[in-house]
Amino acid sequence: MNEDELRNLQADKVVDARGTSCPGPLLAAKRSIAEVKVGGIMEILSSDAGTKRDVPLWAKKVGHEYLGTIDEPGYFRIFIKRMK
Amino acid sequence: MAKKMVLALASSGVEKLTVGGIILSGAVAQDMEVKVFLLLGGAYAFRKDVADKIQDPGEAHYNKEELLNGFQRANVPYWLDYYKQAKELGNVTFLLCGTAGKIWISDKPEDFVDLVDEVCGIGEYISSIEEADFHIII
Repeated sequence: MNEDELRNLQADKVVDARGTSCPGPLLAAKRSIAEVKVGGIMEILSSDAGTKRDVPLWAKKVGHEYLGTIDEPGYFRIFIKRMK
Repeated sequence: MAKKMVLALASSGVEKLTVGGIILSGAVAQDMEVKVFLLLGGAYAFRKDVADKIQDPGEAHYNKEELLNGFQRANVPYWLDYYKQAKELGNVTFLLCGTAGKIWISDKPEDFVDLVDEVCGIGEYISSIEEADFHIII
């Protein structure tokens, strides 16, 4: 998805993991995806640089769809669609 | 079928315990089944009367204050919290080496933090390595 499409997404669950270091955002994502219905969208907010690569890899590994990332000043918004 | 990882902790240095906790967290995030073996130094770190007091960087040569300040600056949790969180989130079994336990205090799980599931011998460790997809010793 491009940035405009991502900005128009309405996340079913927003996980604010800003301020935590790796693996904090990753574990927050794992914990929270269970609270999203299949087909729903989870948005992870993270200020940890490693998360930008880590969460998409995690999503692919465990079978969810990575939709994209928006770079905001000082943090990232990472969008994942629950697939199973 | 879940991938299997064996993580052997043999150090009581806070930096190695932290590294182990971070690796464990990553494995749990990917739904791996993990066995954590507490060998000599690792068993010491999980002793009930010790676990919440470890701040020394073990055999590493860097400055203790620098390390602890860095942990604080990066908002890194206390090492034990990684293991607690991993146990809560994933399929993680903690096995205490009986000999290591006896060296430090006893081979009874109740003398160690509540995470410890079983006491084991070296045979179980070796068998678990044979069955695992990954083996990491720290």
